[in-house]
Amino acid sequence: MSETLLKVESLEKFFPVKAGVFKRTKGYVKAVNDVSFEVKAKETLSLVGESGCGKSTLGRSILRILEPTGGKVLFNDKNILDYSKQDLRKMRRDMQLVFQDPYSSLNPRMTVRELVSEPLYTHFSISKVEANQRVDEILEKVGLPLEHSKRYPHQFSGGQRQRISIARALVLKPKLVVADEPVSALDVSIQAQILKLLVDLQEEFDLTYLFISHDLNVVKHISDRVGVMYLGKIMELADTEALYQDPLHPYTKALLSAVPTSDPLVKKERIILKGDVPSPTDPPSGCPFHQRCPLAEEQCRNVLPEFVEVRPEHWVACHLVEE
Amino acid sequence: MEPILQIKDLQIDVKMDEEVLNVVKNINLEIGKREIYGIVGESGSGKSLTSLAIMGLLASPPLQVSKGEIVFEEEKDLLKLSPKELRKIRGNKISMIFQEPMSALDPLFTIEDQLMESLKFHTKLSKKEMKRACVKIIERVGIPRPEQIMKEYPHQLSGGMRQRIMIAIAMLCNPKLLIADEPTTALDVTIQAQILELMKELRDDFETSILMITHDLGVIAETCQRVAVMYAGEIVEETDVVSLFHRPKHPYTKGLLKSMVGDRSDALYSIPGKVPSVEQMPTGCRFVTRCPEAMDICARVSPDDLEVAENHRCKCWIYQEEMANHV
Ligand SMILES: Nc1ncnc2c1ncn2[C@@H]1O[C@H](COP(=O)(O)OP(=O)(O)OP(=O)(O)O)[C@@H](O)[C@H]1O
Ligand SMILES: Nc1ncnc2c1ncn2[C@@H]1O[C@H](COP(=O)(O)OP(=O)(O)O)[C@@H](O)[C@H]1O
Ligand code: SF4
Ligand code: SF4
Ligand SMILES: [Mg+2]
Ligand SMILES: [Mg+2]
Repeated sequence: MSETLLKVESLEKFFPVKAGVFKRTKGYVKAVNDVSFEVKAKETLSLVGESGCGKSTLGRSILRILEPTGGKVLFNDKNILDYSKQDLRKMRRDMQLVFQDPYSSLNPRMTVRELVSEPLYTHFSISKVEANQRVDEILEKVGLPLEHSKRYPHQFSGGQRQRISIARALVLKPKLVVADEPVSALDVSIQAQILKLLVDLQEEFDLTYLFISHDLNVVKHISDRVGVMYLGKIMELADTEALYQDPLHPYTKALLSAVPTSDPLVKKERIILKGDVPSPTDPPSGCPFHQRCPLAEEQCRNVLPEFVEVRPEHWVACHLVEE
Repeated sequence: MEPILQIKDLQIDVKMDEEVLNVVKNINLEIGKREIYGIVGESGSGKSLTSLAIMGLLASPPLQVSKGEIVFEEEKDLLKLSPKELRKIRGNKISMIFQEPMSALDPLFTIEDQLMESLKFHTKLSKKEMKRACVKIIERVGIPRPEQIMKEYPHQLSGGMRQRIMIAIAMLCNPKLLIADEPTTALDVTIQAQILELMKELRDDFETSILMITHDLGVIAETCQRVAVMYAGEIVEETDVVSLFHRPKHPYTKGLLKSMVGDRSDALYSIPGKVPSVEQMPTGCRFVTRCPEAMDICARVSPDDLEVAENHRCKCWIYQEEMANHV
């Protein structure tokens, strides 16, 4: 598990903010701001963070569904930001996205078979017989009965629709799957079914996952490594075990302490943060977390902490955490 | 413990084209003074309908309360009050906050307008006194610079701030009971922790009872003393929160606890299948289609809601048979 499949270097996605009659650019939403990390082949790397911290934008920028405004995305050592449209299309076979919302991401006028075979026809010149065979195969793997393949999305529950989305992504046999909140829209009793499916499929097809979620419990369960995002930046990145047992960044500590207990007899030590996440249009100077950080010092207001490897494979961006 | 609210055998039906279908039934519960009482269940289990019935806000038709009593302060059956009497209680002695605060706030009015509106209706304070009350409650719910916030419109605030404003409006008249329907579901965990903390403080300061409705067992474990588990429109288990988490009785509760993703156990568990729709409700126990312990009788006859341990009710044949064998 050491080979690097994906390497993200200083990635940036800034959205211009336009204002006034002439729609002049007034500033930028720094949705992804100088982010670097690696994903190793066959691992699950998760990104967690609160709403608006830039998780989805990061996922989409890596797949070039959104065009990044800076940095590099190396997939198998090649920078895909240099790719032409045509190369990009080829590359997409290997990099697929599963969306959060199983309700709006499927075309309501297509049957399950049409939905799942569509990516095959887009990416390969393939006969109908062969396509059908591959669809049958993948439907079985994701646990959808074949006799349902003529049905339309509205005839399925949320969990089943998410299975359809997963089948669509996996039918191409990709190497990397970016899953953006794939269980967030589902009921608790269904979430575990889908997570288990994702874990089983990873094993079967040697998949690499970049898993995006706001739910720390979900992430803990399925990840090898976890990165914590705040205001467009990664604050901490480490092995799941290290991150949950021994978090180093003050934001990670607060985030973990805010997760409700699953036992009324265990009262957690809680760090209640002040205020809201600041707007990414006007991020604070210095450390992006300093206005809410219980430990902030003078230097935090002015100097941006660097993202450094403070222990082997444990990266942190905080002035107070030392090697 | 003195009850503030007692729900007795509440049943809610929905009138379809020709038939009348049952959506909520067998709701029996008692919320004590200063207690935080939880209702937990998956989406569609009838939590919101139950809370709307208490507030007299069911969309009727097609929905209607077909049976039961909702007794407030041990005297008034809310279901027998006139719309005018209900309006006087609503937002005053009983108030409510919702999952999505944006839909409950009027986008065209400032925060001040929305707070004043409630005070005008329920009190006879002078304008100056009302304004002072507004500033005070906004400060109390943890919003800095209240004067400035009062001039703003809902869309200018973040989700967490809007929920604080909703709570401020709800607490303005010092209610005896606050109904909170998924108050933190739309919020991030750090904001959720802030809001739950605030609600606990308000319960202490204002001596308000809270009915906490959620699909999240974690929220229940954090805040509640007693809890009812709803499944497909019915309460299937009811007890104190420690018993529920440590000695659950109903197979559905056990499944829910097991499927809490996270720090409980390492294997991923999920309850097979899904909640039956109103049209396809099983005749016997409503959980029979998903129950790993189902017996023959379960599909035919609905089990009784029985006291299976002290202060612990459960509606399942396993315990009914057990108890029958003991007699
Ligand atoms: N097309 C866009 N134009 C301008 N700003 C955008 C655009 N898309 C996203 N943003 C902004 O970029 C920031 C990051 O958004 P993003 O959707 O990546 O967050 P997220 O972490 O996925 O949040 P959530 O948990 O709510 O899905 C937010 O402030 C968002 O408002
Ligand atoms: N206006 C309505 N008309 C018909 N059925 C409804 C209406 N509102 C809710 N229901 C049904 O009643 C059941 C319970 O709904 P609800 O109380 O909203 O669930 P919860 O809040 O637990 O998610 C669901 O099956 C839902 O579809
Ligand atoms: S750099 Fe300073 S403000 Fe930022 S997390 Fe560390 S201590 Fe807090
Ligand atoms: S009554 Fe039967 S089906 Fe229902 S929960 Fe109990 S054992 Fe399961
Ligand atoms: Mg997102
Ligand atoms: Mg609801």
